[in-house]
Amino acid sequence: MKLQEGRPFVDKVNSDTREYVQLLLEEIHRLNQTLTDFSSRYVDVEQQNTNLANLYVATYQLHGTLDRDRVLAAIKEVIINLIGSEELGIWEINGDALTLLDSFGIDAQKWDRVALDGGGGLIGLVAETGQRYIAGEADVVGGGPQESLTACIPLKLDDTVIGVIGIFQLLPQKEGFEPIDLELFELLGSHAATALYCTRATSRLMVVS
Amino acid sequence: MKKKILLVDDSSTVILMEKMILAKGPYEILTARDGVEGVAKAKSEQPDVILLDVMMPNLDGLSACTAIRNDEATAHIPIVMVTTRGEEHNMETAYRNGCTDYVTKPINGLELLTKLNNILGLAAAS
Repeated sequence: MKLQEGRPFVDKVNSDTREYVQLLLEEIHRLNQTLTDFSSRYVDVEQQNTNLANLYVATYQLHGTLDRDRVLAAIKEVIINLIGSEELGIWEINGDALTLLDSFGIDAQKWDRVALDGGGGLIGLVAETGQRYIAGEADVVGGGPQESLTACIPLKLDDTVIGVIGIFQLLPQKEGFEPIDLELFELLGSHAATALYCTRATSRLMVVS
Repeated sequence: MKKKILLVDDSSTVILMEKMILAKGPYEILTARDGVEGVAKAKSEQPDVILLDVMMPNLDGLSACTAIRNDEATAHIPIVMVTTRGEEHNMETAYRNGCTDYVTKPINGLELLTKLNNILGLAAAS
């Protein structure tokens, strides 16, 4: 008799326990979801930090000197280490052609001079039109003989093109350009041009004085 | 206590980038500009981990790695190779020369922090 009297109490405890366990399971699920969200946000924030660091480092390096060779070295280092290519050239407009200022991993003699009369392929077209070329993007400047070119960035002072940067093969582990690379191209397009212009202006000033 | 990390690279761009990534961590940063200086600082400073570039003047990263491993005073220090070369055979050479792990350029901040913290036993980043 006593056992039967205690039955409702036991059932109640069982029911409450099941309810409590269910609440705990739901709470664990919610916490797991929160943890996943935080992990995802942590990855995003770290990626943003890396991107900002990339942009800061590139700017700092480009404007850290008025020596032309060091500016050119900084441009090369940004492309090699931050963008990820060991085949590149930096050209400057010199009259009716582009003159190779510096390069890495390409045949410098072959690329020493690029014509600006329409016969300079993609590199010449980028310098003439001022529009960047990125393989895989919409064909902004038309085709040309430099199929191995992966990207070509005009160096602009305001709206005037003073040269171009050509990037050929990317590093093997680099599958393609990422959004931060496009931001680096924008940055190089203006800041590398300014930095190169400043080196020339400085050397002229020094000659005058 | 801060962990001591030795950055060995001839590129000021890479050194600056690595410093930016590691700046917010519990690290004391030391730098060296080539393999010779890197080997010397590994011995004198006894860092907790070394980030070692492959292509460097005077003494390249693979040779520096071997030198660090062959010296009793530095043989225990974990070495993470930083390379532009992603091909497998380069990594095999790096492991044969005694490196602990590697990262490829362009450096991914999260990847670098995760690898370093795993090596250093710091749970937070993993």
